[in-house]
Amino acid sequence: MKTSPIFQSECAGRQSGWSSRWCVSLVEWCLLGFCAVQSVALQVSAKDAAPGVFKQLTPLLENHCTECHERDNAKGGLDLTKLPQDLQERSLRERWIRIHDRMEKGEMPPKKEDMPEADRADMLRVLSGAILKVDREEVATRGRGPLRRLNRDEYQNNLRDLLQMPHLDIRDVLPEDREGHHFNKATETLDMSRVQLKAYLDAADMALRAAMVTQKEPPKVAQYRAVGTRLFPSLDTFGTRAAMFFARDGEAVNIDGKTPKEELAKLDADEGLELALFRSASWPYYGYPKGFVAKVAGEYRVRFSARAVRQLAGFKIVPAEKPQPMTFRARKPSGPDVSGDVRATGGLIDILPESGVYETTVLLRGGETFEYSLLGLPVPLTFNINGGAPTYRYPTFPEGGQPGVAFQWLEVEGPLAPAVWPPLSHKVLFDEVQPGSVPADVKMESKRLLRRFAALAVRESIPAEELQMFEALVLGRLEKGDVFSEALLAGYKAVLCSGHFLYVREPERAEDHFAVASRLSHFLTNTRPDEKLSGLAQAGALRRKAVLRSEAERLIAGEGFDRFIRNFTAYWLNLRHVRRDDPDIRLYPEYRFDDYLVESMEMETRAFVTAMIRENLPAKVLVDADFIYANDRLAQHYKLPALSGSTVRKVPVPKESPFGGLLTQASVLKVTTNGTTTSPVVRGAWVMERLIGQPPPTPPPSVPAVEPDIRGAKTIRDVLEQHTKNKSCAACHARFDPVGLALENFDILGSWRTQYRGLEEGQKVSGIDRAGHDFAYTLSAPVDASGKLLDGTAFSNIHDLKAVLASNPRQLGRNILEQFTIYATGTPVRFSDRPEIETILDACAADGFRVADLLFGLIQSRIFLGNPGCE
Amino acid sequence: MLGRRSFLRGVGVTLALPLLECMSPVFGRAPQVSVPRRMLLISNNLGVLPKLFFPTAKGSDYELSPYLKELSEYRKDFTVVSGLSHPGVVGGHSTENCFLTAARGPTKSGFRNQISLDQFVAEKVGQVTRFASLNLGVNIDKANRSLSWTRDGVLLPAEDSALAIFRKMFLQGNPQEVASQLHRLEERGSILDTLLLQAKSFSRSLGQDDKERMEQYFTSIREVEERLNTAREWELQSKPWTTESEPPDVKDKKRFFEKFELLLAMSRLAFESDSTRIVTLMVDAFATPVFDLHQNQSTTDGYHNLSHHGQAAEKVKQLEDADYQQMGLLRRLFSELAAKEEQGQRLLDHTMVLYGSNMGDANTHDNSNLPILLAGGGFKHGQHLVFPRDANAPLSNLFVSMLQRFGLESESFGSSTGRLIGLETV
Repeated sequence: MKTSPIFQSECAGRQSGWSSRWCVSLVEWCLLGFCAVQSVALQVSAKDAAPGVFKQLTPLLENHCTECHERDNAKGGLDLTKLPQDLQERSLRERWIRIHDRMEKGEMPPKKEDMPEADRADMLRVLSGAILKVDREEVATRGRGPLRRLNRDEYQNNLRDLLQMPHLDIRDVLPEDREGHHFNKATETLDMSRVQLKAYLDAADMALRAAMVTQKEPPKVAQYRAVGTRLFPSLDTFGTRAAMFFARDGEAVNIDGKTPKEELAKLDADEGLELALFRSASWPYYGYPKGFVAKVAGEYRVRFSARAVRQLAGFKIVPAEKPQPMTFRARKPSGPDVSGDVRATGGLIDILPESGVYETTVLLRGGETFEYSLLGLPVPLTFNINGGAPTYRYPTFPEGGQPGVAFQWLEVEGPLAPAVWPPLSHKVLFDEVQPGSVPADVKMESKRLLRRFAALAVRESIPAEELQMFEALVLGRLEKGDVFSEALLAGYKAVLCSGHFLYVREPERAEDHFAVASRLSHFLTNTRPDEKLSGLAQAGALRRKAVLRSEAERLIAGEGFDRFIRNFTAYWLNLRHVRRDDPDIRLYPEYRFDDYLVESMEMETRAFVTAMIRENLPAKVLVDADFIYANDRLAQHYKLPALSGSTVRKVPVPKESPFGGLLTQASVLKVTTNGTTTSPVVRGAWVMERLIGQPPPTPPPSVPAVEPDIRGAKTIRDVLEQHTKNKSCAACHARFDPVGLALENFDILGSWRTQYRGLEEGQKVSGIDRAGHDFAYTLSAPVDASGKLLDGTAFSNIHDLKAVLASNPRQLGRNILEQFTIYATGTPVRFSDRPEIETILDACAADGFRVADLLFGLIQSRIFLGNPGCE
Repeated sequence: MLGRRSFLRGVGVTLALPLLECMSPVFGRAPQVSVPRRMLLISNNLGVLPKLFFPTAKGSDYELSPYLKELSEYRKDFTVVSGLSHPGVVGGHSTENCFLTAARGPTKSGFRNQISLDQFVAEKVGQVTRFASLNLGVNIDKANRSLSWTRDGVLLPAEDSALAIFRKMFLQGNPQEVASQLHRLEERGSILDTLLLQAKSFSRSLGQDDKERMEQYFTSIREVEERLNTAREWELQSKPWTTESEPPDVKDKKRFFEKFELLLAMSRLAFESDSTRIVTLMVDAFATPVFDLHQNQSTTDGYHNLSHHGQAAEKVKQLEDADYQQMGLLRRLFSELAAKEEQGQRLLDHTMVLYGSNMGDANTHDNSNLPILLAGGGFKHGQHLVFPRDANAPLSNLFVSMLQRFGLESESFGSSTGRLIGLETV
């Protein structure tokens, strides 16, 4: 049935095998020893709206449950004699739902023979019927969930769209939002406090000031051009000369501190010189063009001429054989240390072997410059041993030479003036009132502008009474002596911190199309409805199935969908933690500072999830697919045929490849490890929770966790034996440990391995890593990724596991629906939503539960649309 | 703007504790207290190795445990308590947000936190200082963890940058900045008035659950407004001076001890300058990845994984090392608080320093028998107070004793059943 565990095959024969196994272990854990059946009076609450229900249930509970769940013998903390028989009270209903679910899964009572099937069916029918009734009534009278505060990403996006400032940056003024059900979208955790409200006031203030201009003319556009030695701030970078030098006609030019001044001055403007760079940007590094600093914040256009090269011995450069990806990083031009924040900007650019001109736009703050950031190249690291002089060794060149880029010239122009002046953002605030000027009738104009702004800002119409309050504020500020623009901004701030702006509502009434529009846009674009969607809300057309679908399709196809992809994957798949643990460079020297790999991993997962929806892929791609999204770096990482260029693209994978599907993506395998070792426990539990939708129960108190031993003496398998030996552990761990075990062939960054690495025992491997450091690790025990599932099915590797997981696409589809539900509505799937979820699944079953179909099904359901549902 | 350092050097005045008396008239509401009482509430959310922390003998003649030997000079200045926990606060790591709230059942569905000890105190005496309280965290996951919770059970995010706190406390704006800040506060007052009115109207059309949700919004408006008045008064007072230079802005989570030490230093400075009387400090060991144990030596694993040592010698050794170093940081804090004089006594005598954890034993996710140490603050110390291991006394009882010592007439807090028996005031 609907909550069947994934390992419970839909074929009946297997199911019983699985269940009994599970039950035996549960007996050990929860129900040590059986006592004689006792009749216990169960507590009946006076509040209970359906006493008849419990009248029916009581004898069944007394016969099959209370012997282990009463008073001193209350296993698992459940005392049925104390649990009020009340379904009205939410927290109590939750507990009864839990009882229902465990019985439905066959986990309780633990021995199948302790409850005849007929009794179980009876009890489930009565209990679920009663819960359904109460929950439905509550949803009908009180709504499915309360209004939800915007999280900080949504608030920023709303302001960006409202103020027409795509680069507005106020997110960090707001406190990071608490997670609920893994997302930053859960109503119950998006609380409001004085700190939060104050931050909204500050953020609104900041945004409005950024939107307003005071000058009559756009800021002057500065021009900058660098050639020769001005392409770099110094004559060398940290490390040996192999990391960077100036070249003429493909050969290094001898320049250093002893070069005469006059000669240096000439080289400063020497069009014939090239800057040859062979390292990635990381500490320590001065890597920006000499003498350029953005005086004011804004967008700057960068044009430059460059070619991809290879460095041969003797500091010679020849054309490369493949493109070299690069980007820029905005930073302050401070010392070698990268202080404050450094941000990639300008996008990925693949530099081709033939010399060519490239153009991009970088986003800089006042006082910032930008540095060259070549991706995937060695990172020189200066370090002192015992206080000695800094040492550095450039790693051995790969066969064919060391890839890098040679730059010929670079130009910067900016800040780029907006298309019109005053900019659109100013017009949003002041309409035709020019910067610095004051309208003739200040009061009248203020009132008009305020109403205009409120109408633009708020995603639906505001009652006249409330508009007057905002108006009174502006007029009051004028009376207190505030200048026109200040008084108006005070009113705007109030609008931007009002309930209308800060909260999104449940669409409760049939005529409430604005709430539907808002829910749809915050779901699929993480922001307010655009003009088209607002228009449809205004026209009352958003409860029509066809319109909902075509609007969803439009939003999914649009640019704004990237906001959904980023936020959804950041939380659902924990992509925001992909950089959390640095790889342990003692064991994995090849990953030292390989930020390009990590970035590529993120791109892969985003591209994949985008395709899941845009291409309407079947749910099974969560665990298996015959293609992946890869670029040059990932192809290498996954040991697939070489690709060229940084753009991730769809490539087929050979049948025997373990890759394909979210399950084996590097990002997923990275966020489930700690950078040093993999833990099947953590990975298995994560996969069951996020991908399969069957989260393991919280670990019982007083059970020490087991962690792998990295000295190489023992494999994780040895350590984990405890989990199978000890039945109280096995009861839960058997649900997810095997899944993690099957993933043991993937290292901390998801690359395929057949042997573990250690530091002491095993075959020694040593060399020089990509940063020029010596390394030495050992290859210890071989990886054994075989295991046995709860139902006894043996698997020998990841292929087998994928097949098992893919064999229950309905559960995968259900999981996707559950993730979408909490993300889109802020409230997780309620008991009374379950039948609707199953209905959506039914409709999508024939096509293998395609992801976009599931999504469309959800937005056309009452779960999404509120009680009135579709027209 | 003037560089902070040059500004400080130019003035060159050593900070004296400001005379509280001259502040008092500004705030009629503030209770008149002759001796300023302060509290620093620290919790490491993975705790310590219990065997090395708890002494074996009880009473005043007990032999110091290995960890407590690190604090031997201050033996008479602290009490170590065993057999304390929060009743009903179980569920492994999820208890970390309840250390100062005692809210039961953090893993139960529909759980909502309660007001934390620091906020309870701040509500009553917060206005006597520039900051009602400071809420700090080492490596803290600001979104999801905090020791500080409002009356509505809403998380108050912690600050993790020593530099930011330092600037908040000591960086004085120039006259124009002060004037514009005052204008801003005044304007904010009008905006909040409008928001309150508007929200009432907005709420009217909402359903019951929405209205309940909006209560948080109303509370927030009122609380921001209340604090505006205090903020205005403080804006008119110059910020205190310190001869200490700006702390470095350490961002790297690996530099765990350095960050911890800096935040302890900021807490001390906050007390010395009377910027606040209440500081919380969550040491978010859980969010601490592989970290530097010593120069050129980092741990083999993240703090959390180490804590699940399963008695593996290699892990236990590293944890021990980390625990000892934290004890060392406490000793340093005690010595600094002891060196500062205030009204003829040591600052330590006016400052309660609570060091503890929501974890009795992180290895087994045990939330009973919490490690608790209370130093200074005007209690008769120098003893090991023991409550039954299998029937713990409520930790909230200690909180009640602290509240009363603070000068508040509080009979209860959280799950208290009274004061902590055996802990007497000086």
